[in-house]
Amino acid sequence: MTTPSAKTLSADRPALTRTSRAYLTATHYALSELTRNRFAMGLLIIFVPLWYYLLGALFDSATVAFKYAATGVMLQVNSHNLTLLTAGLNTITLIVGFLLFAQTRSSAAFDRRLVLCGYRQVTLLLAKLTGMVVIAALVALYAALALLFFWRPPSLPLVWLGFFGDALIYGALGLFIGAVVTSEITGFFLVIMVSLLDTVFQNPVDNPVANKPILRYFPSYGPTQIVVGGGFTHGFTGYGLGYTAVWIVALALLGLLCFWLRTRAWNAGGRSHAGPVGPVGPVAQAPA
Amino acid sequence: MASTLTANTADSGGKAPGNVALDARGVSKRYGRRWILRDLSFALTAGSLVGIVGENGAGKSTLLRILAGELRPSAGAVSLEGALGYCPQTVILNDSLTVAQHLDYFGAAYGLADLRRANDLVERLGYAGYRKTPVRALSGGSKQKLNLTIALMHDPAVLLLDEPYQGFDWETYLRFWELAAELRQRGCAVLIISHLVYDRSRFDHLYTLAAGQLHREPPAASQA
Repeated sequence: MTTPSAKTLSADRPALTRTSRAYLTATHYALSELTRNRFAMGLLIIFVPLWYYLLGALFDSATVAFKYAATGVMLQVNSHNLTLLTAGLNTITLIVGFLLFAQTRSSAAFDRRLVLCGYRQVTLLLAKLTGMVVIAALVALYAALALLFFWRPPSLPLVWLGFFGDALIYGALGLFIGAVVTSEITGFFLVIMVSLLDTVFQNPVDNPVANKPILRYFPSYGPTQIVVGGGFTHGFTGYGLGYTAVWIVALALLGLLCFWLRTRAWNAGGRSHAGPVGPVGPVAQAPA
Repeated sequence: MASTLTANTADSGGKAPGNVALDARGVSKRYGRRWILRDLSFALTAGSLVGIVGENGAGKSTLLRILAGELRPSAGAVSLEGALGYCPQTVILNDSLTVAQHLDYFGAAYGLADLRRANDLVERLGYAGYRKTPVRALSGGSKQKLNLTIALMHDPAVLLLDEPYQGFDWETYLRFWELAAELRQRGCAVLIISHLVYDRSRFDHLYTLAAGQLHREPPAASQA
């Protein structure tokens, strides 16, 4: 619909123009909203180094056996340094999970309005994913750099990669919980409990059942294997990436499916500029 | 009040006066065993201003949400010509974004080449001084103005408004009716639902929603 005061993009322009503009706009505001979460940013800046400091002070430098599945051998690692790595995973998963949960939950009705006004769901979904990837990468980078104040691992990029992978897993988890849970306190509780149990189980210093085969089915198994590779070895076998990718993809698909169901419109009227739209529901007989 | 669809008016954007802009046929909605709407049919023609009143819980918002495509009916069909503008009863905004950012975001949603009309609406509704203010810092009335601006900024052919003037002061209320009259003149089909209607003479037609069905009210001139 074109009027002198409100012109739509003309039909002969490439379709990509409107789509890419919509994607860039949605991504910009998704990132803006994520970074404006002052509570989460405060947690990131203060909680990550504080957690490193506290756990570093509490755990002595003893030797502990860690099953490094990439080589199949039991690595004899420094318990203090291993605890720093799992502490990093713990804080990252909490912060990113919380961020994505809070954003998805609070913007559910707003996102639906955007869809009713013409936003394609897939565009919003891609924007949310982009925001998640960027924020996960930045949070992981901050946590990896903060680690240097306490310990210098042999391969910081590999530690970052493991942090990044776990941040993505919990970002996707936050997206999923935010799309299905309406209570704020319930969502926070879920993110905290899953993160605590998951990351604590991976560390043999805190947990006598660590190194058991069942742990490979936990979300942080793959990322823990990667960060241990970066913290205690000099080579990267790629082990752990597959587990990490499966969790990311599974949780992201679940979250995006729930998001899609919550934001879909039965009538595409807001998008249509010509021609009838509908019918919107089955024709059935209602009681008089 | 069943209606007959007219010929396709795609070339006029659904705004040729008298053409059916929105057509609802046999719309029913139930929650559990309770029927909120029963086999309800009506049409909205271009260049008309129609009101629907009803008591709290009569199903007015449910009807509007179905017409807007937000809610699926249990039975029936809805078709419309041209772009839709929808102002929900609950103010749906993003607290962390400013007024200007909302306009930018919804401009992208509608695919608008510019925001001249949106900015004009902001001026006319009297909240231009809050363009850079985050929604969380706006008053209830200003939030409602933004809620309404989003529904109007793309110059829709069909406009569905749910309690659009709640929270408005008297001056803004009058400006709202000026806008509504202008939209009708431009060929927009405007539907307003409210639990209270003070100015019946402003509507071309007024209906009451009761027991799940629409009942036409007598013209304002014949009111006692």
